[in-house]
Amino acid sequence: MCAVQLEIRNISKTYETGLFSKKRKSILKDISFRVEKGQTFGIVGESGTGKTTLGKIIAAIEKPTSGEIFFRGNPLKRKKEEFTTFRRKIQMMFQDPEGSLNPKKTIQRSLVEVLDLIKIPREKRTAVIQDILRTVGLSEEILVRYPNQISGGQNQRVTLARILLLKPELIILDEPTSALDTSVKAQILNLLKQLQQERNLTYVYISHDRDVIRFMCHDIGTIINGRLSSMSSSTVEGISQRV
Amino acid sequence: MTLLEIKNLKVTFESSLGKVKAVEDISFKLMAGETLALVGETGSGKSTIAHSIMNILPPNAAVKGKILFRNQDLLQMSEKELSQIRGKEISLIMQNPALALNPVFSIGHQMTEPLVIHESLKKSKAILQAQDLLKRLHFKGPGVAIKSYPFEMSGGMKQRILIGISVILNPKVIIADEPTKGLDSRLKTMVLEELKLVKEMEHSSMLFISHDLHPAREISDQIAVLYAGEILESGLTVDFFKEPLHPYSKGLLESLPEKGFKPIPGTPPSMIHPPEGCKFHPRCPYKKEICTRKMPDKVTIKGRDVKCVLYN
Amino acid sequence: MKSRTFWNRSGLILVAFFVFVAIFADLIAPHSPWERFEPYTKPSTKHWLGTNDIGNDILSELIHGSRASLIVGVGASAIATLLGLFIGLISGYFKGFADELLMGVTDIFLMIPRIPLLIILAAFLKSSFWIIMLALGLLWWTSTARVVRSRTLQVREMDFVTSSKCLGFKNRHIILSDILPNIFPVALPKFMLTVATAMISEASLSFLGLGDPSMKSWGLMINFAFIKGGLINEMWWWYLPPGICIVLFVFSIVLLGFSFEEEKKVAIK
Repeated sequence: MCAVQLEIRNISKTYETGLFSKKRKSILKDISFRVEKGQTFGIVGESGTGKTTLGKIIAAIEKPTSGEIFFRGNPLKRKKEEFTTFRRKIQMMFQDPEGSLNPKKTIQRSLVEVLDLIKIPREKRTAVIQDILRTVGLSEEILVRYPNQISGGQNQRVTLARILLLKPELIILDEPTSALDTSVKAQILNLLKQLQQERNLTYVYISHDRDVIRFMCHDIGTIINGRLSSMSSSTVEGISQRV
Repeated sequence: MTLLEIKNLKVTFESSLGKVKAVEDISFKLMAGETLALVGETGSGKSTIAHSIMNILPPNAAVKGKILFRNQDLLQMSEKELSQIRGKEISLIMQNPALALNPVFSIGHQMTEPLVIHESLKKSKAILQAQDLLKRLHFKGPGVAIKSYPFEMSGGMKQRILIGISVILNPKVIIADEPTKGLDSRLKTMVLEELKLVKEMEHSSMLFISHDLHPAREISDQIAVLYAGEILESGLTVDFFKEPLHPYSKGLLESLPEKGFKPIPGTPPSMIHPPEGCKFHPRCPYKKEICTRKMPDKVTIKGRDVKCVLYN
Repeated sequence: MKSRTFWNRSGLILVAFFVFVAIFADLIAPHSPWERFEPYTKPSTKHWLGTNDIGNDILSELIHGSRASLIVGVGASAIATLLGLFIGLISGYFKGFADELLMGVTDIFLMIPRIPLLIILAAFLKSSFWIIMLALGLLWWTSTARVVRSRTLQVREMDFVTSSKCLGFKNRHIILSDILPNIFPVALPKFMLTVATAMISEASLSFLGLGDPSMKSWGLMINFAFIKGGLINEMWWWYLPPGICIVLFVFSIVLLGFSFEEEKKVAIK
């Protein structure tokens, strides 16, 4: 049984801009790395270096210009049947707490629609919702609220709840705590770590915050000029000088 | 000399879900040349205090208490009198630089506007002053910057320009509302440097509002910790970080990265139905029976003010 | 400056009033608008607004006229808005080829001069009421499409849409469940304003004599008032009331449209 959960091989992404003179902008160049199951791989770099784009490519929300992604040893193909099975296994969380949920839907609706998606029968729904709220540390009174009526930390917990309902194996986390207060950050980071242990989750954590990276990650890659330089856990401490 | 004094400030908002008790009996003083950090989580009432001072609260707010600036109550002033003070004597640096700058006006226009309006300066003179300020804010080409537009500037530059606009009239009090929120570490350091610089230039006082303890520690002389609309602890910054007194303060420091991100259990209380007694008691590891009934009175210990039963 | 709620409520009350009158026209009007009395009479206790050139009671005509105006206005706007929503959503969500094609079509429609086209259509086709409604609907969707597309382009970039895609929701679900509710605040006022323009267009056509003579409409009333000597003889009770009704109704629709502008749910933070 392969312990490597995720493997990225030679991923590149170029954008074409401009109306008349098509300029090519190379965001990511030949990126390769591996993540083992149950570990967290950190991706660091300054704002605008393409970290989010890389995250989206791994989460199969964007297509790379070239390169391949292997999940559990199998190449990620975009053919319909295979895609649906692994689609749920790879999920992504974003930075803006309020933007991740539809502002027009109550929390209850946002959760129930996921239950619809995974076809949970009606009788079991109340129990499933109670259970997932408990897992992420929320009380039931939050169900009637709208995203802009609850705090950033609570928003992120709801988003996490939605993701966890799908029983994912790999979660790409794109700076999920950078917009949160320090004390709430601590809560969410600890929650993420706890869930990782309980469910053997693999994380790819994107951030520019060196303290968070140090706390969460086993291995780290830095993106400079579109290229990735990898570091093992032993040099994690040395990262404070680099970033 | 006391420049700004808040006395028993109480602010409530009417909302569709009930009355929001945003600020509950806040009192503090800001001395000339001093920086006071107002620290607290989102929703603790920090921005509400800043907006009360500038009197830019939304219409559904009800305010009680006194805000004395140079011994005049700002809450009793007319709009005309207030417009003389806003920007000129007391200035607010807003949270989001990208949104606070008007995209259709040049930087020069936006920086000189306060000078032209408040000090009736001639445009040419105002531009020179603006350029000078930009130079002091470490802009390499102030002449070019004056003619540029916000979309041509990076996030860091916009932040510096915003700071510039807020202080160009040399206000006596600068209120900085979460100036480092969402910025990466490089920008954070830069913004703090700029703020320190700006404060020294005119010997202004600063009210530094933030949820982040690190910049608060770096820039302030005095610190006040806000929780659910009440100041739980206040005193000298140096002493506070050496030895926090209130259990909430202790919890805040423990949740810092260098202490291992140890979280405070539970969540901040609802501002519509806050808990009885001490607002922090549901999450307090030292909770006693009396904490559920009565909010403790303010006590002064080792030069610090604390509202906790442990020190009564 | 009266508060916002005052204007919102006024709009609602006025529109409700007109709708009520249109529905219960038969009960409210003192006479049938087709019944003939003595023509050209001045306002009196028997005929509050007098009678027209063929002896119809003007007040009854006025009350019944609301039906035609409302039906054409709302009907045309409904067609236009639905069409605009559909095209705007598809265009904005899928982008690429579909977008280019649909926007090209929109451009073509925008180039067509509307009123002249309607005049030509009315001249060649039976000037039926329904044809007018359909024609207006098929011509007025363009600006709604543009506005919907623009908002769709914005909304689709938001994190919650990306989230939905990531969770595995199908496109149809995302468009209807995630994007559409966020388009409403933009589409609803547009619908209201299109009702207003459709009404005025119908009134203009009727005034030009191209309306459906079998339905009493305000525009038609003004038309007859002008050509049958009402203006020359200063019979203000004939040509003014329908005009005032048009203005008032359009005004109330616009007020109602403005009142649908989004009010953010109060953030309890």
